[in-house]
Amino acid sequence: MAVPTDVIPRRPTLLFIVVLALLFFLMSVSSQTRYLGETRTMFERTVMTIFSPVPKFVNWIGSTVQDMRYGYLDMRRAVNENVELRRKVGSLTTENLKLRQSEGDLKRLRSLLAYAEQFDMQTSMAQTIMLDTAGRFKSIIIDQGSKEGVQVNDVVANANGLVGRVVLTTNDLAKVQLVTDSNCSIGSLVERTRRQGVVRGSGGSAVQMFDIPSLADVQPGDRVMTAGIDGIYPRGIPIGTVVRADPGQSLFKTVTVKPAVDLGTIEEVIVIHTRKIPPAVVRYAP
Amino acid sequence: MRWLRFAIGLLIALTLHSLLDSFYPNALAFFNPYIILVVYYSMGGNILGAIVAGVLAGFVQDAFSNAMFGLHAFSLTVCAYVVAYINARLSLRGTLAFGACLGGAVIVNELVIYILVNILVKQRIEMFEQALLVKTIFTLLFGMLVYQLLTLFLREEPIEATRRPAAW
Repeated sequence: MAVPTDVIPRRPTLLFIVVLALLFFLMSVSSQTRYLGETRTMFERTVMTIFSPVPKFVNWIGSTVQDMRYGYLDMRRAVNENVELRRKVGSLTTENLKLRQSEGDLKRLRSLLAYAEQFDMQTSMAQTIMLDTAGRFKSIIIDQGSKEGVQVNDVVANANGLVGRVVLTTNDLAKVQLVTDSNCSIGSLVERTRRQGVVRGSGGSAVQMFDIPSLADVQPGDRVMTAGIDGIYPRGIPIGTVVRADPGQSLFKTVTVKPAVDLGTIEEVIVIHTRKIPPAVVRYAP
Repeated sequence: MRWLRFAIGLLIALTLHSLLDSFYPNALAFFNPYIILVVYYSMGGNILGAIVAGVLAGFVQDAFSNAMFGLHAFSLTVCAYVVAYINARLSLRGTLAFGACLGGAVIVNELVIYILVNILVKQRIEMFEQALLVKTIFTLLFGMLVYQLLTLFLREEPIEATRRPAAW
């Protein structure tokens, strides 16, 4: 059957409009569910899974070249270090024996004081293979996925402090929302005064701490930690240091926090497999 | 064949994205490899192909960034459509014409993202004008260099150079 001639020319424009409408719908869904746990669409996961070999391959090439470059120098350094380390092992073994004795004493005293030990969360190491800190939405991609037990809302940190949380997993990769991402919120407290607030990413290099009353004692140099009240981040992970605490125009202070982690140079991270709060509990929370 | 070339281009763009992310984490603030691919493809003047190319490249960029899924797909599709529409009417060829299309596309791309982020997330992008300027300059320089290399050494015409009749 012949198609009317006045319809054919408009097809690209119609297609364009339909495609834009669909994409707008997809974005609306994505933007509305960004703050929840299972945020990412199946479609996004599929695209990421299909193309995941590319960043993995690039990362493999990069690390192989670096290994070759540093291999020889490291080998020479290692010989010298080995001699030094053997010497240290002797002294540390003696020290270790003393500490084991102290640990036994401490456990006994703790049990006497009925001190409840914190439960240990499982952790795993991961390597950063992509780092997107350029735009307003900041994320990294790590080389561990659901196959290794990484789940959405697992917390990611390194030796210096909090890095962010997992927002999407595929079989062998995971996307981590950084603390500086403009959609990141963390229940936090000031270590010195125990004043609680909410740290939010601002899309820049620093983060803001909100809900701190004007009369609260918060000063530059104070350390800010996770408070463990948001159901995602466990208590006691360093977030950063207060660099500015201005009175603000309303009842609350404007507190700027410099992240403890240099987010532009993350290489290896620790994924903390936190205990998840069931969605039903979150939904009916007051 | 042309889709195979587009797929290879997309893989190269993603590789570049991964490399820059790994070694110079802020480099993507200055430069967007996906838009170069989309503009190069859209210069052929096939609007349908350009739309599909814009959507595909955008989805890949979205999957490996933390933006709302669909944001880059939307903006790149708009750019692809505009470039293909212009090229369906005017036969633009040469490095300068490519540069003009690419520069315009980068500006349109950033403006669309700015508007969508404002509408959907209700957030203001700080230092927008400065970032736009820097991104336009660097993307333009790199894109024109790629175009020169393709035309000089590979005797390459924009993908889909076999123009279809512009039926508007």
